Amino acid sequence: MLEKTGIATREQIEKLLPSPGRRAEGPYAVMECFQKIPCNPCSTSCAFHAILPMDDINDIPSVTPDKCTGCGACAAVCPGLAIFIIDESKGGGTGTVTLPYEFRPLPGIGETVKAVNRAGEVVGDAVVTRVLPGKKTKTPLVTIEVPLSLVHEVRFIRCEAHQEEDPSVADTLREIPAPPQTADIGEQDDEVVICRCEGVTLREIRDLIREGYTTVDEIKRISRAGMGPCQARTCGPLIAAEIARMTGEPLGSVAPSAHRAPVKPLPIEFFLGGDTE
Amino acid sequence: MMYETDLVVIGGGPAGLMAANTAAGAGASVLLLERDRHLGGQLIKQTHKFFGSEKQHASERGIDIAALLGDELKSLEDRVTVWTHATAVGLYDDGVITVDYDGTYRKVRPKRIVAATGASEKFLSFPNNDLPGIYGAGAVQTMMNVYGLRPGKRVLMIGAGNIGLIVSYQLLQAGVSVAAVVEGLPQIGGYAVHASKIRRAGVPILTSHTIVRADGKESVESAVIAEIGSDWKVVRGSEQTIPCDVICISVGLTPLTELLWQAGCEMRYIPALGGYVPARSDRLETTVPGIYVAGDAAGIEEASAAMVEGHLAGLEAALSLGCGGDGCEEERADCLKQLSSLRSGPTAEKIRAGLSCAHGCQTPKRRDEHA
Amino acid sequence: MNLPKSASVVIVGGGISGCAIAWNLANRGVKDIVVLEKDTLANGSTGRCGAGIRMQWGAEKNCRLAQFSVNFFENANDILAYERDIEFEQSGYLIIAANEAEAQQFRKNVALQNSLGIPSVFLSPEEATAIVPYINATQFVAATFCQKDGHLNPFHTTDAFAIAAERLGVRIFKHTEVTGIEVKNNRIESVDTTGGRIATHIVVNAAGGWSKAIGKMAGVDVPVYVQRHQILVTEPLEPILGPMVMGFSYNIYIQQVPHGSIIMGRSDHTEPRDFRTTSGWKFIEEMTKTCGTLLPYLRTAKILRQWAGHYCMTEDAQPIYGPVPEVEGMYLACGFSGHGFMLAPATAELISEMILGEPLTIDVSDLDIGRFKRRELVREQSVV
Repeated sequence: MLEKTGIATREQIEKLLPSPGRRAEGPYAVMECFQKIPCNPCSTSCAFHAILPMDDINDIPSVTPDKCTGCGACAAVCPGLAIFIIDESKGGGTGTVTLPYEFRPLPGIGETVKAVNRAGEVVGDAVVTRVLPGKKTKTPLVTIEVPLSLVHEVRFIRCEAHQEEDPSVADTLREIPAPPQTADIGEQDDEVVICRCEGVTLREIRDLIREGYTTVDEIKRISRAGMGPCQARTCGPLIAAEIARMTGEPLGSVAPSAHRAPVKPLPIEFFLGGDTE
Repeated sequence: MMYETDLVVIGGGPAGLMAANTAAGAGASVLLLERDRHLGGQLIKQTHKFFGSEKQHASERGIDIAALLGDELKSLEDRVTVWTHATAVGLYDDGVITVDYDGTYRKVRPKRIVAATGASEKFLSFPNNDLPGIYGAGAVQTMMNVYGLRPGKRVLMIGAGNIGLIVSYQLLQAGVSVAAVVEGLPQIGGYAVHASKIRRAGVPILTSHTIVRADGKESVESAVIAEIGSDWKVVRGSEQTIPCDVICISVGLTPLTELLWQAGCEMRYIPALGGYVPARSDRLETTVPGIYVAGDAAGIEEASAAMVEGHLAGLEAALSLGCGGDGCEEERADCLKQLSSLRSGPTAEKIRAGLSCAHGCQTPKRRDEHA
Repeated sequence: MNLPKSASVVIVGGGISGCAIAWNLANRGVKDIVVLEKDTLANGSTGRCGAGIRMQWGAEKNCRLAQFSVNFFENANDILAYERDIEFEQSGYLIIAANEAEAQQFRKNVALQNSLGIPSVFLSPEEATAIVPYINATQFVAATFCQKDGHLNPFHTTDAFAIAAERLGVRIFKHTEVTGIEVKNNRIESVDTTGGRIATHIVVNAAGGWSKAIGKMAGVDVPVYVQRHQILVTEPLEPILGPMVMGFSYNIYIQQVPHGSIIMGRSDHTEPRDFRTTSGWKFIEEMTKTCGTLLPYLRTAKILRQWAGHYCMTEDAQPIYGPVPEVEGMYLACGFSGHGFMLAPATAELISEMILGEPLTIDVSDLDIGRFKRRELVREQSVV
């Protein structure tokens, strides 16, 4: 799921939660960091040593709930914006979620905002109870109050200012009717301009490959593809890929065309000034 | 007049800045060439926080790291000369670099070179891919984060690697809507945390999908996307039209190595590293003695690895000139340790495989070593 | 495609000379011809050259060889039934004399050329500017011009010969390198390649820069050496130049191809004699300086790329044509010293005639390999 959609599963989330006893006691950090990546600021930022030091920088952060005070220092430094502070101890059927929020304008305290889940769907309203501007980290932390049942769902907010834009991008996606069936995508490809400098189409390249010109240089010599101002910077790799595709040769054995000075077009008079000996 | 110096660093991005700082810190005279008007390379448009550890400035934003490294360079200004708006246009077999320095022709003959020339974006061929409104993700990032311009109102992002995901997020931050992120592979290529960030902001990520064509009269008005099967062919009938005024292509980077080709370095095609990269020793020296490589030019990786490679290449170049003093061995060991740590995780499996093909060449002896 | 076990003629080298010879022989009815190319066609000197052709030479033989080739190229698209275009533009050559001594020689050249039916004319600088309006007339004292001279697309021209040859049954093997030549009793028996062995009694050595190495495989010392020559091309411009402009003292040739790009090159006899094809910054400085002086209008033209190829040089800068006395069956078509492209139709005609024992259309018996031992070198001053 996560690796296909960007949305963590319920099971993944539940494994992160401390014991019910600890959850009733006060705020705690939830680290929605499920992938071994080379990153450790959370563990080095924790003044309470609640996040285990990482032997390997790729380790997944491990929180000791009893040491965690829910201060939010880690949430502010996390480059992945993946740490949330949850407080279920307030009573009254509500809890708070503190989330990193790098959008402008920041909501004001007392403002009602839309509470959004991990999939970007609005799941209800929330009231902003605290805003830390994040002067040093430039990652503001916004605390919102939501029903207890939503503290593990809500991970984003949408303020008034954002609502006047697209209602929901995901919705508009579904509304669009399917286009008329495209005749043959392969045929269309033929007219794609591969070398923009010299106006050489994929059809011409393919014809030459069929005729036995199976190196980038040979195609360049006959068709001029790659001889223009960009010197094959854009089309060279595309031509090599097409040769590899049509001949079945690995891309690495399709020799690229030579790289020659200068790396950008320069007028003759440029070389007449400055350092000429 | 030929400009003579110990080391020329080509490229003022994360790798180049680190190389220049390190070599100058070790006592070498350095000329840093940056083709843009400001230092920092891609860092200056990276408004997101970096991964990695403190040593690679993790949790800092790219733009702040650029400033940090730039400040360090300033503190070394008695040994470092910086030419901005300076493009190395030729690297010749006698070791001379010709430079377009703010429109003026200059020649440089360094004793060593660190090529930290970065990468360029791969392009995709599909019908109407020349309509106005189709950009590379890097161009969109530059437009927004360097020049403060929105590329359009509604973007279709092609590619769910880290860059596609990050640029989608930054588009949202800029108030541009992102219709969807389309990814040909069956799973998201970038980090899951980046994907979750845009998914909860409402952006669908469509894996196993591809762009079929762009449509529009004067400029992009919509795009047709479709599902692709395990045979990499479009599933008939799965086509859908996405209204959008911008199509953003983010299908990967390829090392920018023209100068290394020109110089006659042995190049190897390593798909895991993004294309052709120079063969090099574990000290990052290419097969042309005295030419080192670092950062994306050596293979596409995260900026954190690029910085450490720059550090190592700058150090090695300086050491080969007899610069440096006590502690250089530890510094080298520390760089190697950082690199192996950054590359030890499962997300770096491809990188490790690629590097094992790129490394292990024998650099022939330098001319001055023969004497 | 597998190599045949035997061939009547094996041609080594898939440049313009090799492809033209193959076509010419096949066109005369010779069967079982094989061309071996270690890389791709026109990958060596042919694909890197300026591809000009001029009849304005100082020695009669060169005039005749070039004249033959011009006549051929004028109809080559039809003769070779080529679907693309060899792009033969007869926009002329304007050759400028930098000083009086050169002008004197040019007068003699024009007289010789005219006597052979070559329509060249001797011009004052003012008259020259009527032909090339943008040239700096203060930079030369006289010029000669021949409208029938011109230039071609070297890739298409080689392609045209190759396709026509294949149509006649010639088999061209790319990516097939010759690794040895077997000689028994002073006679060629076979050719070894990376694709296998071919039995043959006739080998045409048209390997350009590599002709020395090929000769050595048969025990023949081919007296040639290789030298880098550099060239550059600009972005396409509107048609402005007209003819090829050439100056021996100025050491320049410069032309505008049909596509609009300006191509220019020069020589440097101090270049090392090896196979390097890297480019140099000195070349670009000298080239742009000459161009900027002679054709100031081009100063704003943008250079797209520079590259280099080999001249396969001989001591007298004239080709080596014909059989080798010591090894029966080895024919040389090499040492063109920068003029192999333009002479290719004549080369093909003459080598075919030699192989078939027919009378030569142009007497080139003094361009044999033996002239170097005999010290009977040929004199030609009109070279860049």
